[in-house]
Amino acid sequence: MGNYSIPVKLLAEELECEIVSPPKMTKRTLELGARHSPEFVCIPFKYNLGNYIEALDKGANVLLQAGGGCRFGYYGEVQEAILRDLGYDFGMVRLLGGWKVRDHIADFKLVNPRLTLLRAFNAYRLALRQTQALDAVEDYVRRNAGFEVEEGAFEEVHEAFLGELDTARDRRTIQEIEKRYLAELAAIPTERPDDLLRIGIVGELYVLMEPFSNLFVEKELAKRGVEVHRFVTVSNMVKHGGAKGSAHLDDLIKNSGDYVRYHLGADGTESVSMTYQLMQKGFDGVLHLKPFGCMPEVNAMAALQRLSREHTFPVLFISYDAQTSETGLRTRLDAFCDMLRMRKQRPNAISVADVDRVRLAEADRRAV
Amino acid sequence: MWAWVNYLHGRTVMPAAEQGGNEDMPATVGLPRSLLFHKYHVLWESFFRELGVQTITSPPSNRAILARGIELAVDETCVPVKLLLGHVDALRDKADYVLIPRIVTLARGETACVKFLGSYDVARNAIPGIRLLEYSVDVEKGLYERPELCRVGATFERNRRKVRRAYDEASRIHARHMRDLSERQETALARPGIKVLVVGHAYNLYDEMLGKPIVDFLGKNGVEVVCSEFHDTAKARKLARRISQDIPWTFNKELLGALESYRHRVDGIIFLVTFPCGPDSLMTELCMRSVKGTPSIMLVLDELQSEAGLQTRLESFIDLIVAGKQRMLMSGDAS
Repeated sequence: MGNYSIPVKLLAEELECEIVSPPKMTKRTLELGARHSPEFVCIPFKYNLGNYIEALDKGANVLLQAGGGCRFGYYGEVQEAILRDLGYDFGMVRLLGGWKVRDHIADFKLVNPRLTLLRAFNAYRLALRQTQALDAVEDYVRRNAGFEVEEGAFEEVHEAFLGELDTARDRRTIQEIEKRYLAELAAIPTERPDDLLRIGIVGELYVLMEPFSNLFVEKELAKRGVEVHRFVTVSNMVKHGGAKGSAHLDDLIKNSGDYVRYHLGADGTESVSMTYQLMQKGFDGVLHLKPFGCMPEVNAMAALQRLSREHTFPVLFISYDAQTSETGLRTRLDAFCDMLRMRKQRPNAISVADVDRVRLAEADRRAV
Repeated sequence: MWAWVNYLHGRTVMPAAEQGGNEDMPATVGLPRSLLFHKYHVLWESFFRELGVQTITSPPSNRAILARGIELAVDETCVPVKLLLGHVDALRDKADYVLIPRIVTLARGETACVKFLGSYDVARNAIPGIRLLEYSVDVEKGLYERPELCRVGATFERNRRKVRRAYDEASRIHARHMRDLSERQETALARPGIKVLVVGHAYNLYDEMLGKPIVDFLGKNGVEVVCSEFHDTAKARKLARRISQDIPWTFNKELLGALESYRHRVDGIIFLVTFPCGPDSLMTELCMRSVKGTPSIMLVLDELQSEAGLQTRLESFIDLIVAGKQRMLMSGDAS
């Protein structure tokens, strides 16, 4: 998922496994996955299955699958059945449950029987540190890549960073790399216009974090001179996933302007609450991404649509499935960014939502 | 009146004394005939009857309700939730409150489908101004059915003991109803003739627009329909493990339990799935791979269903079963 293969690889190496990373995702990955998947399962399932087939073809014999708060928690077993029916022979580690090392020690023992708790703990901590470094740098790139003077400057530094991070094997090196590259990124000349657009991205975690699956939506936005913010990262998930998870949820619900009263499942609550908070912070708009048919996000959309209507706050909804085209996405992003710019230039203009509201109010009056 | 609305927006129990003017005009509670209604209607109806609260149930699903639901819902919502919104909307002017329970976890380590977590908030946001009653069952957070439903009851009856007694009586009636259903299931299985197991959630099987036409059509064609009802939840869980170890959804476990326990006693299996159901998309895939040897088909229902297409598929499925049976009889190998 995204560049998170780097910390996962570190984790596996520290635990003395040989790792076969699936080849970089291509359209073929998705085709392979979609061919053998249930018809209307959500798109991450299809990508995952494609990754597995490609990795197994490359010689992997143990597959890793995680779990989550929606049907994602059930991916592993079904994928295993499909792959076995295809004739593959392999072992599967299904990481379900919490984010603590203790929860998973048994799973790791399956892979490496000589493993000790201490060793697993250290490996986990190191991988976590690497993830945090990765997220910090990528966050900076997201916010600033849209304003680079020399095209491709950010991407070049980013690539170099990934290369070095991949080989880092102790905390001090990771820290040093993070610091050095953040400084290097800060030194890249940028030109920030006065009327820059700030857009937040919310939604389902897989399509948010895997750029290939969201058709590189962040890069596309950067090309249109947008400062992009995103809050769903693995570091944040670990931070909020532990014992404080339920307190974090309560916080989100409290800060959602009464658009949610109960947890909506998986990332749904966060999508609504973050959108509400971003609106109050003065963001220009929000992009809501999800795989087609993702139930927690569909729950969230009901709230988001009402929020958008009542506060005249632009939210663009994008659903991804195996057929989503890049051209369609680009056109929608163009229109969305143009619309946001126009709103900025003429803040008092009447929007469609305003007209709607007036019409609704009139209907209400008549009904009384 | 506004005290009422405020109560509904908070979660504190309002003393019945503050109801004031509502005493002479008894409130009516609307029960949308969708989703959990098909599982819990006996419990709800008896509970409110014991309390002396009038209930009104929305009519069986029809085209108008579905059309209204589609209008209110986000496009990608699954059909049952679209129907729920249609039913809630149909009750808007007829009832003072509409009951939408929120079921999260019924047992540790399990969960209900995400739509049951969100349907309260979804309805609230899709139909602004609607007055809802809700109760949450979330065992992992310490929310149980009895105190939660009693909290709902407390809005109508100030005597707490009376509320609790109403719940206990309702829950007894509910349990008896469940036992009756199980017995009926056994008699259906004992009958001779071609038997087909229809695996689907209660809210699909018994819905006038979704499962009912299929069940009726099968019956008309001389097929004994066995629904995937399984009321012994503990046993269902045990049986479900034979097909799937990881499945997290309680209601799907019941379906798997029914499938595992009946599949050797029926001649064919129909998986009834609504588009785009998350849990069923995965569960059905696994079932079709593990249930081999019994003829099975998967029917995916959506809001654009044409009856003719469905009937053709059902007819050919029945033909297939009959042909298979005859072949077995002719070869003299009935086992």
